[in-house]
Amino acid sequence: MAEPLLEVRDLKVHFPTDDGVVKAVDGTSFRLEPGETLGVVGESGSGKSVTFLTVMGLIDRKSARVEGEVIFDGRNLLALPEDEMRHVRGNKIGMVFQDPMTSLHPYYRVGSQIAEAIRTHRDVNKSDAQKQAIEMLRRVGMPRPEDRAKAYPHEFSGGMRQRAMIAMGLALNPSLLIADEPTTALDVTVQAQILDLIRRLQQEFNVGVVLITHDLGVVADVSKKVMVMYGGKAVEMGTRDEIFRQPLHPYTWGLLESIPTVDKRVERLVPIKGAPPSLINRPNGCSFHPRCPHRFEPCDQDIPELKDRGGGHPDACHLSIEDKRRLWDEREQQRARAAS
Amino acid sequence: MSLTSVDPASSEKRSDEPLLRVENLTKYFPIRSGILLQREVARVHAVEDVSFSIHPGETVGLVGESGCGKSTTARLVTRLLDPTSGKITFEGRDITKTSQRELRPVRRDMQIIFQDPYASLNPRQTIGQIVGAPFRIHKTEGDTKKKVQDLMERTGLNPEHYNRYPHEFSGGQRQRIGVARALALRPKLIVCDEPVSALDVSIQAQILNLLEDLQDEFNLTYLFISHDLGVVRHVSDRIAVMYLGRVVEVAGADELYENPKHPYTAALLSAVPKEHSDTSISERIVLQGDVPSPVDPPSGCSFHPRCPKARAVMGKSVQLTSEQAEGGQVSLEEAAARTAARDGDDRSVDLSQEVPENCRKEIPPLGEVQKEHFTACWYPLEEGEKLQQAAKA
Repeated sequence: MAEPLLEVRDLKVHFPTDDGVVKAVDGTSFRLEPGETLGVVGESGSGKSVTFLTVMGLIDRKSARVEGEVIFDGRNLLALPEDEMRHVRGNKIGMVFQDPMTSLHPYYRVGSQIAEAIRTHRDVNKSDAQKQAIEMLRRVGMPRPEDRAKAYPHEFSGGMRQRAMIAMGLALNPSLLIADEPTTALDVTVQAQILDLIRRLQQEFNVGVVLITHDLGVVADVSKKVMVMYGGKAVEMGTRDEIFRQPLHPYTWGLLESIPTVDKRVERLVPIKGAPPSLINRPNGCSFHPRCPHRFEPCDQDIPELKDRGGGHPDACHLSIEDKRRLWDEREQQRARAAS
Repeated sequence: MSLTSVDPASSEKRSDEPLLRVENLTKYFPIRSGILLQREVARVHAVEDVSFSIHPGETVGLVGESGCGKSTTARLVTRLLDPTSGKITFEGRDITKTSQRELRPVRRDMQIIFQDPYASLNPRQTIGQIVGAPFRIHKTEGDTKKKVQDLMERTGLNPEHYNRYPHEFSGGQRQRIGVARALALRPKLIVCDEPVSALDVSIQAQILNLLEDLQDEFNLTYLFISHDLGVVRHVSDRIAVMYLGRVVEVAGADELYENPKHPYTAALLSAVPKEHSDTSISERIVLQGDVPSPVDPPSGCSFHPRCPKARAVMGKSVQLTSEQAEGGQVSLEEAAARTAARDGDDRSVDLSQEVPENCRKEIPPLGEVQKEHFTACWYPLEEGEKLQQAAKA
């Protein structure tokens, strides 16, 4: 098998606090092939953002205990000194965050900010960097890029700012782009523009993309591969079709069933009972078991590993594959009945 | 133009009086400048000529993107803001100009649930005090504590948490507290302003189900405001779509989603990312540009600068992007300039050849195109009509 672009092995990120140790990420492993798009879904506190902040080396190592390995380009990023990490960040790994207003500097012109990112990593003069910045703005569909490069972030709309962020993220032709909730702050029509753009640029630049979101629809829209996170762990990982058509983990089932869609109206939503787990006093065994309607003996004892349990893609649930298939079919039938 | 001639709610089927009727509601926020004189230099047209009515027991959804005026509408109908003009009738009584003191008895019957359960609860008050406040303000008889605990139980909270403070609760529980407070005086109408937008998806469904149960139990009427089209479809009987301060379409929930008449509604629906979306991506209508500024809304139909249908009527390409320009169809500068013109930040470019004259000059009235289906468009979509898809590079 070819070398993966990114491989994370048993990553743990723990924050000691006065109230106890917050186990934000507690043993996550996955790999991403070059040019692949991975969608990461989960609710707040599931560890999805912390996982990728750690990958980018943006977690303050003084306040967090980080274990595991993050292999990128054949090197373990967690072992790199900060100055080498800085060379990777921005240069090899581009980033786009949720709120473009707080990630752009309000006092500097947008073009200069992109040019600065280019000059940090490349030996080019100011005017060439500025030209490259304008070219990037053009490629992300910014109208009149020469003029817009001279504007300040507050003069941009939310969608335009996010385009500028994406331009900056891709300016140095990285092999991996990490987008953390890139469309959450945007309206749906603008979201559609940005998702279109990410899809197009992903192919144009042949860049690996990690798309972190709480919105299953967004994941389905952009990514071929999906990772579902819950309580600091990946609980299921598969292709888009596998996750949406043959999901194996009861948490994934719950997510799919609790969201009202625009396509059809169900009589009643099926919520997941209870609330997400405390990250300090995590439940024993599977952290989803207190909310799981299908729990049985081992669930509150043994932590289920993420592995292929005969379902065709990896999941972390103790149920047998026969039970999973049967239960999902039953739930599907119930849903079909409720919709009719 | 207005709805007074054809009111979407006054069909013969519903002979009962609407609980709430809003006619030609308009709200401008002045933008002032200068130190001493504070001259008004411009106005934000937040809500413009909005009319609708809500019948007892009904849920009316109000959808639209940020800045379309849906929250302002919520604050106007509850009189938390004073309208610039228009009329609000609640239970047959005109409350447009009623003084705050006279409004107090009306407020018993009309409550509001806010979006942010963190900001809408006083952090220094206990749940008992927060949920009990309506009883104290309206000086009701009986044991307040018992009533509050009863409410807490009905909304899925543990009554023993009576003396706890908001920070001790999760987001979903806080929203339940907001619901309990709104429910305290057994109102007739509850305005829900984005009640689940701040919640995680698994919690969202719990609150939506709670709101439905309470509606059945207390025969509540909801004005439900959300930007989430899936949520709105789930809860609403009828839905009004807003764009730049105006209602552009009103229809029954299923009818609206299955058979949108206004090009904006169609674009909005197609923009929602869906599961199994390989086919839906190719059918997606990606609108160009952003919503224009409500300070200076476009003339005529305010959607015309972005409208794909208006261009289709004229036989023009839906979008001219830089990619297309690279394909040699138009010059790059022209494509950029047109996009900018549609965004509303370049008025010097003439778009008149792209859009029919009436779209540019006259505001389309909200007219009935089908039974109980109203839309404000000069060229409403035919049943099953697919908007021309934006050409891809």
